[in-house]
Amino acid sequence: MFRRQSALILRQFNSVISDVCSPKIQTACFKSHTSIDKIYPNSNLDYLRKPEQVQDSFAKTGSPDAPEKFTGYIPIEQLEVTATRSSGPGGQSVNTVNSKVEIRFHLESASWIPDWIKPRIIEKAEGKLTKDGYLVLRSDMTRKQILNQADCMNKLRNLIFAASTLPKPPTQQEIKVKEERLAKAKAGVLREKKDRALLKQFRTSPESF
Amino acid sequence: MASKVTERALNLVKSMPRVGLGNIKDLPTATYKKQVNRGRRQKKKGRGDKGQGSRNTWDPLGYEGGQRPLIDSVPSEKYYGQYAIRRQYPPISLLELQRMIDLDRVDVTKPVDIVSICNTGLFKFEVAKNHFGVNITEEGCDVFAAKINLEIQWTSELVIAAVEKSGGTITTRYYDPQCLAALFNPLAHFKKGLPIPKCKLPPQDALAYYSDPEFRGYLADPEKILLAREKLAQKYGYKLPDLGADPVKDLLLMRKDPLQIFYGLEPGWIVNLKDRCILKPKDEDYLRYYYNVH
Repeated sequence: MFRRQSALILRQFNSVISDVCSPKIQTACFKSHTSIDKIYPNSNLDYLRKPEQVQDSFAKTGSPDAPEKFTGYIPIEQLEVTATRSSGPGGQSVNTVNSKVEIRFHLESASWIPDWIKPRIIEKAEGKLTKDGYLVLRSDMTRKQILNQADCMNKLRNLIFAASTLPKPPTQQEIKVKEERLAKAKAGVLREKKDRALLKQFRTSPESF
Repeated sequence: MASKVTERALNLVKSMPRVGLGNIKDLPTATYKKQVNRGRRQKKKGRGDKGQGSRNTWDPLGYEGGQRPLIDSVPSEKYYGQYAIRRQYPPISLLELQRMIDLDRVDVTKPVDIVSICNTGLFKFEVAKNHFGVNITEEGCDVFAAKINLEIQWTSELVIAAVEKSGGTITTRYYDPQCLAALFNPLAHFKKGLPIPKCKLPPQDALAYYSDPEFRGYLADPEKILLAREKLAQKYGYKLPDLGADPVKDLLLMRKDPLQIFYGLEPGWIVNLKDRCILKPKDEDYLRYYYNVH
């Protein structure tokens, strides 16, 4: 009896709470000396809004001469994500739960990958491409679908980054060091040759001396 | 002429004997130093005959004549460390939470915090056992599908991803033990007639966690939380919903103040259940106390 009474009272108080803190008068709610808008006065409290430029936050800085870089941002709506049953042991759960994740998309028509990277991806991941030109990535690494999808995303991102890495041109210091080493090696070879020649000379009769 | 009282007093003094060493005494509270070894014959100096007592060759403390002393017989193992003072967060899985929502034990149309979870009766914690709130675990992250404004004390990245994937928001929030006692059983707290306590800030070793946008700490920068949400969506491969003018957005953004423990109720208020009213302080000192951290 008492428990039900207490539940009733709490439910009524919940309704009081909802009226007091309704969306329309949210600004009238309690704000102390350490409210978030006072700790971070320059921050917009609405973090559910669409951010202005998301891609730049993942961009890797490149020189102005370098071609367009892959920022790491993958638009999920342009990928086809499917879940199927995984292989391996696991009894009822592996037989019934769709934990394996497959991500596929048409590589050539992907606008979010710079065009110069696409042939490099084809080189690197020949076995992952279908006849129709779809890149297919699968993962059944864990027991959870959400983690397998994260694994697929990771694989895709790493693949594109690996395909987009250009060989680094040698720096002046590196060139200098290499030249010095080559010169030293050459000098060593020549010294050996000279020593060898002298030795041969000593074996002959001393006519020229 | 002097009064009768003074005359009598003077006569008394005149008739009394002269003050001398023989007729005065110290107060009962007077203390005297002990007379040690003063006198004619002080051969043993109070140390007795022979032995360790007179020769100052006592055994070390704990020595048991060569037998393994008690302090040495039991080894010291440090594997418990400071378990008695470490904070604990009893767990509840996302699956259990989803079940509660499906069975209408928890109302998703309002913000869900530890009070809502405890009010179901299916989750309990004990402040006396160093329990500092609820910890949401990962089981059920694949099946969780509720647009919920969730406020808990401890969680992992996967849980945050699961909640945000299904369109909800999640915040980690610290409560000190006094507030937790009120939160576990608000009815009992209100019946005591005590004012709603103001929440303390987290201790030093917890401050980093609750200021971290990666864990959606309640003291974190909202701008950083925005970026962290996007980063997590990219990591786990889901799209964040675009709530432009959705009314549910206001519900999802509802937050308590760092000093506040109940939604809609301020610290310092007294909830009078009998007369069904709330008593609010008007005195400036009280208001200042409940408005500031210190």
